[in-house]
Amino acid sequence: MSDTDAGSKAPGTVGLDELHGEPLELQMGPSHPATHGTVRISLKLHGERILWSDVQVGYLHRGFEKECEAGEYAQAIPYTDRLNYASPIINNVGYCLAVEKLFGVEVPPRGQYLRTIASEISRLSDHFTCLGAGAMELAAMTPFLYCMQAREHMWDLHEALCGARVTTNYVRIGGLQSDAPEGFAALCREKLAAALAIFADVERMLTENPIFRDRLEGTGIASAETLIAYGVTGPLLRAAGVPLDLRRTQPYLVYDQLDFDVPIGKTGDNYDRYLVRVEEIRQSVRIIEQALAALPDGPIDVDDPRLRLPPKGRVFNRMEELIDQFKLVTEGARPPAGEVYQAVEGANGELGFYIVSNGSGRPWKCRCRSPSFSNTQVLGEMVQGALLADVVPTFDMINMIGGECDR
Amino acid sequence: MPGRVVTVERRPRPRAMDSLGALAILRGLAVTSRHFFRNLWGFLRGRPTIFTINYPEEAQQFAPAFRGMPVLVEMPDGKERCVACGLCEWACPVDCITIYPAETHDEVERYPRVFDIDMSRCMFCGLCEESCPEEAIVMSDRVAIASTHWRGNVWHKQDLLVPVGDLEKRLGSIRRGYDTRASEPAVERESA
Amino acid sequence: MSQSLVTALASQALEGIVEVAESRGELVVRVLPVALVEVCTTLRDDPAFAFDFLMDVTAVDYPGREPRFEVVYHLYSLKLNHRVRLKVGASEASPHVPSVTPVWRGANWLERETYDMYGIQFDGHPDLRRIYLYEEFEGHPLRKDYPKEKRQPLVTRADVEPAQQRRQRERDSERYGRWQ
Ligand code: SF4
Ligand code: SF4
Repeated sequence: MSDTDAGSKAPGTVGLDELHGEPLELQMGPSHPATHGTVRISLKLHGERILWSDVQVGYLHRGFEKECEAGEYAQAIPYTDRLNYASPIINNVGYCLAVEKLFGVEVPPRGQYLRTIASEISRLSDHFTCLGAGAMELAAMTPFLYCMQAREHMWDLHEALCGARVTTNYVRIGGLQSDAPEGFAALCREKLAAALAIFADVERMLTENPIFRDRLEGTGIASAETLIAYGVTGPLLRAAGVPLDLRRTQPYLVYDQLDFDVPIGKTGDNYDRYLVRVEEIRQSVRIIEQALAALPDGPIDVDDPRLRLPPKGRVFNRMEELIDQFKLVTEGARPPAGEVYQAVEGANGELGFYIVSNGSGRPWKCRCRSPSFSNTQVLGEMVQGALLADVVPTFDMINMIGGECDR
Repeated sequence: MPGRVVTVERRPRPRAMDSLGALAILRGLAVTSRHFFRNLWGFLRGRPTIFTINYPEEAQQFAPAFRGMPVLVEMPDGKERCVACGLCEWACPVDCITIYPAETHDEVERYPRVFDIDMSRCMFCGLCEESCPEEAIVMSDRVAIASTHWRGNVWHKQDLLVPVGDLEKRLGSIRRGYDTRASEPAVERESA
Repeated sequence: MSQSLVTALASQALEGIVEVAESRGELVVRVLPVALVEVCTTLRDDPAFAFDFLMDVTAVDYPGREPRFEVVYHLYSLKLNHRVRLKVGASEASPHVPSVTPVWRGANWLERETYDMYGIQFDGHPDLRRIYLYEEFEGHPLRKDYPKEKRQPLVTRADVEPAQQRRQRERDSERYGRWQ
């Protein structure tokens, strides 16, 4: 935006500072047409300049951690879908990896590859949502509709994999809910191609558009030091030039066997965040293609009745497996006492699960370290002294997901 | 596998684009008109290319794995397959299943006298289906659960029973996974 | 990975570290509350540790234990790519822990959340108020003795307005004294 200071004045005129007045108080939200996510931003304005802001979250607080403590380990998986509902499978994966770490087991290669593919599909759906909604809030409706169309393709893939589009509940402790259906690789390639074709149109409309660039370039700048001090991770931090990507630095699943680039930005403004996300879309597609090509045959679940239900075919006909089934459902998986912290690279940054087990079938403590929470915190700093209109693109590119931030 | 770190390139802004905002508008118009004419052509040919469907007239085609509302499997003799073991009740995270078992003189000996699912609480997670040792509760492809009163959302056994023939799609999908871990040959389900 | 960390911790012999343990490949360090800020500053600034990220702050409730609460910090180092978990006890009678906001600014919201959920008082926190729940909420929901099904009365507008306006006025005069 043009940055003539509200306080500067031409000689002989009265500057705004000298006018008698008081700061204007403005409440953005909790449901504001230009913010996706229920959050309230209390602003004090001096003209169009933001003097002070207070970001208030919590409108979507549902007591995720309390619910998890009340149920068995497996019963918490559907709740993790609702954390970041734009990329549900990544949450499933993070939670299940944490519980598996407690048990000290690892799923077979096919399960790992499928989890990787599913995670990347979710990441794509998250980035499509973020970029589309971001454009919409800057009054560009068409890119939003195209992005939703691209996201529908991703959700078709969710549906083919696990039967649900958003509330996936796909990953299980020690495996997956179900194997990929017949012809999944072909379907996946077809849907990815369709989504990329639509997204190319979005890029054509946005990337070089002078209005879009005006709104994004040079706004919401935060230095890498500030972001690190606030614990911000993910595309926001990468746009500021720090190549931190857990898929690379602390690889989990099979990311260490796949070839992908980590895009970083230079200045850390909103436009860099946009470009980084666009590039990540391409990299996710690359990851999926490689993983599909390398997808091995074999089992998807660990064969361990302590944590994974036995195959149904045997439950029907054999006593032992039937007993295992009854025991596991009624008592729940009982990991040994202890605690773990497992982090995965969510669509918006480090998604960590800290689980404390006391050896019973219910988690004593199940904590989710959500990227959106830390990322939203820095919004106040980013818009300090900026123009009111800069709040919208900055908030968009932070991509605060209420379900994850408020839990 | 070592990958690279790439810096995203920011293209220089062409002066013409800036001073002549109309250029960007034309460019956007080109994209949207292409979509419009393609959709129009598809519509005229009777082969719509638009993404949405005319919902009540056309039904969405679900994937075989689709998880809709949980229903009870009705055997050809008109009875439920459920033996009221209570595992699904136990597995349900939101406690929306209510079962009262009773005894019968049939071969299976037990049946649910009452089997209610509160559809307003059910989240279609499928954990009940996974825990059932009898393949008696499955996720159908039915999704229409609206009612005008909250009591109408409690579905009783009679409403939940669906003939096994109508559930082939979902049953076929879940049966794929029945022996994925078997080191031994697959075991056929004995006919009930 | 964590072996070098352990030796670094041992060689530094930081004041206030009670115990260094390893569980499932993760390093756990128990710290005395009085020394927390100092230990954290060293962990952040010493190049042998370089923990520049505070990833998470939370607490765990162990009723019947003394101290009842355990405040848990997860740190991550960007440069050295390692993690550590810090633990500090807080008793039920006076659940006070020094705030680490001077060390990592991001601790602000995380500590507010922990205060909201467990009632841990972070001394020295610039703005310790509830973050998720409303200020009239009674109790701290993640404590084990808070029943999951408990309901709290609806707070009406008349109940909150005077208090809210008062708080607003206080905040305003603090920040914009010159306009008041
Ligand atoms: S689908 Fe899930 S929520 Fe619904 S009845 Fe089954 S277990 Fe319960
Ligand atoms: S688990 Fe299956 S057999 Fe058991 S009560 Fe539920 S539906 Fe009936």
